[in-house]
Amino acid sequence: MLTSGVSGEPKVVVLTHANLSWIHEALDGNPEPMSAADVTLGCLPFAHIFGLNVVLLASLRAGSSIVLQRRFDVDESLRLVRKHRITMLTGAPPMWQRWAKADAPDDSLATVRHAASGAAALPLGVFEAVRDRYGIEIAQGYGLTETSPIVTLGRGHPVRPSSVGKVLEGVEVALVDGNGVPVDIGDEGEVVVRSPGVFQGYLNDAEMTDSVLTADGWFWTGDVGIFDEDGYLYLVDRIKDVVIVSGFNVFPAEVETVLMSHPDVTGAIVTGTADERTGETVVAHVAGAVDEADLRAHVARQLSRHKCPREYHFLDELPIAPNGKPIRRALR
Amino acid sequence: MSKPIKFEFESAPELPGADRLAKYVLGAIRQLTYRMWDFEIEGLEHIPRTGPALIAPNHLSFCDSVFVPAALPRRMWAIGKGEYMDSWKTKHIFPALGMIPVDRTGGDAAQIALDTAARVLDDGHLFMIYPEGTRSRSGNLHRGRTGVARLAAQCNAPIIPVGHSGTIAVQPPDTVAMKPFKKVTVRFGKPMWVHQHGDPSDPRTFRRFTDAVMYEIACLSGQKYVDVYAGETPTEETVSGVTASGPTPTSEPRTTPRRLSVVGGTSEAPGSIMLPPTRSALRTSSTGPLLRTNGGPPAAPIPTAPGRTKTSAI
Repeated sequence: MLTSGVSGEPKVVVLTHANLSWIHEALDGNPEPMSAADVTLGCLPFAHIFGLNVVLLASLRAGSSIVLQRRFDVDESLRLVRKHRITMLTGAPPMWQRWAKADAPDDSLATVRHAASGAAALPLGVFEAVRDRYGIEIAQGYGLTETSPIVTLGRGHPVRPSSVGKVLEGVEVALVDGNGVPVDIGDEGEVVVRSPGVFQGYLNDAEMTDSVLTADGWFWTGDVGIFDEDGYLYLVDRIKDVVIVSGFNVFPAEVETVLMSHPDVTGAIVTGTADERTGETVVAHVAGAVDEADLRAHVARQLSRHKCPREYHFLDELPIAPNGKPIRRALR
Repeated sequence: MSKPIKFEFESAPELPGADRLAKYVLGAIRQLTYRMWDFEIEGLEHIPRTGPALIAPNHLSFCDSVFVPAALPRRMWAIGKGEYMDSWKTKHIFPALGMIPVDRTGGDAAQIALDTAARVLDDGHLFMIYPEGTRSRSGNLHRGRTGVARLAAQCNAPIIPVGHSGTIAVQPPDTVAMKPFKKVTVRFGKPMWVHQHGDPSDPRTFRRFTDAVMYEIACLSGQKYVDVYAGETPTEETVSGVTASGPTPTSEPRTTPRRLSVVGGTSEAPGSIMLPPTRSALRTSSTGPLLRTNGGPPAAPIPTAPGRTKTSAI
């Protein structure tokens, strides 16, 4: 299976049948498992682990039906939901965004029992728009190609909109600091995962494999997260993208979310650049017809001073992957 | 030597510290600090005249607990060790200064401390808490504990960041006496509200808010920030018995068992997880920020915020 290549060149991930099918067994243990009565819409690409193992193979394994859509089209997908009485609707954030705004009746998703989102962070505004319009709450999940992919899952638990859910039964997750020591609950740490779904290594790349997979079986995801008191996971950002200003961690995703909350901004990617005085400073790359002074004031109202971008670059188009992830390395 | 600032005494018979004794003790302490030290106070306009607020200073010396309260125009409370109530020297004076004794040996000490703080704030008073949790032995400003942010959310109170300098020269670690005539400066920052930093039901909000408070404290105190908890770096050896020399209010007493971010698995929680061998270069040792990546520039000291208005003690 190839990774999406958002954070670097696509890598070839070696997964065994046992890796893949273990996920299906673990899903059977979910408080709300799929059944033969379920109908899934297969509109995510099967060339990615999310579409392949969570949507296609997990549905077949549960004995449920799957309706295939060759290429995602918002109107056609909603027609299929109505026609085939879809109960499981799984998409990436850009798809949910389009369903939220679709030119269709408000009861279009009336048959949907489970709404799920993955691959990238679901903006809170999209969650609220879908809930207010269709009366369904999207449960986010989290996983990586290297973990076949599910690590956490919103399904089967009361939805907390900004969380990616709770750890899948049988998966071990620890949030650790730079020395591999687990952090306290409520503190950020790198997400490390151990489970029967963890991959065998990158094809013909022992060095890359050794950089993320240790002999004790833990896979270092490179993602930073926080657990709440009840075991819900919240993702913060990619560890490699952290910008350090005067010793403080600035997570670009947080700044991007605030930039995106300005009504005139259509896209935002945040990176860091070296600075003599503070070590690094925050740089914003913004798309949209927006006044810089107005945007600076908007950001200053919501972010601590050290997180406010020093430089702004206005671009016509931003490198954003089809699944909604910003490709920050393209702008560094 | 300047004259003490105008002080309004808030009567609080429902809280520890006899009202009448407190009035005299606080008056005397204030007179003393202004006469004995070159004491300067900035940003007094940021202290609300009424209503609750959390006073959040950096913590370098035992005498921080003398100078910060003496700089405030209002009475305040803080948590101190229960042991102070065992000595005749401290059992009347410390409560009169606003110390609320909490037995830190019990397992629920942290909860009692937080409940006590909530009571003070809910009554509309000022509560002082050191967000670093303990004194910085390195002189740097350390990562803040999120308990302060949670308290602010729970009690709908603002946090007032405080940065002071000079107290370490007045009373260096391991000394009992305070050296007179040194310069001490206490600076108060603008009140900060948790709801400006996100949804209080999201744990990321507390971390962000805490970091924002620490940034403001760093700007006010001029300290370098290091993204590790005080007492957890190799340069920060804990000298046993030192803390017995004075009340060191902590947000989360050390006796509290840590609750680790580990979920799943039948084996006991790992002490630490093996580092990937070929990745150590990507990460720094515990002296730097924990979440450092591929060799970026080192953290630089935070410059003092420009344009801060100075309202020195009169």
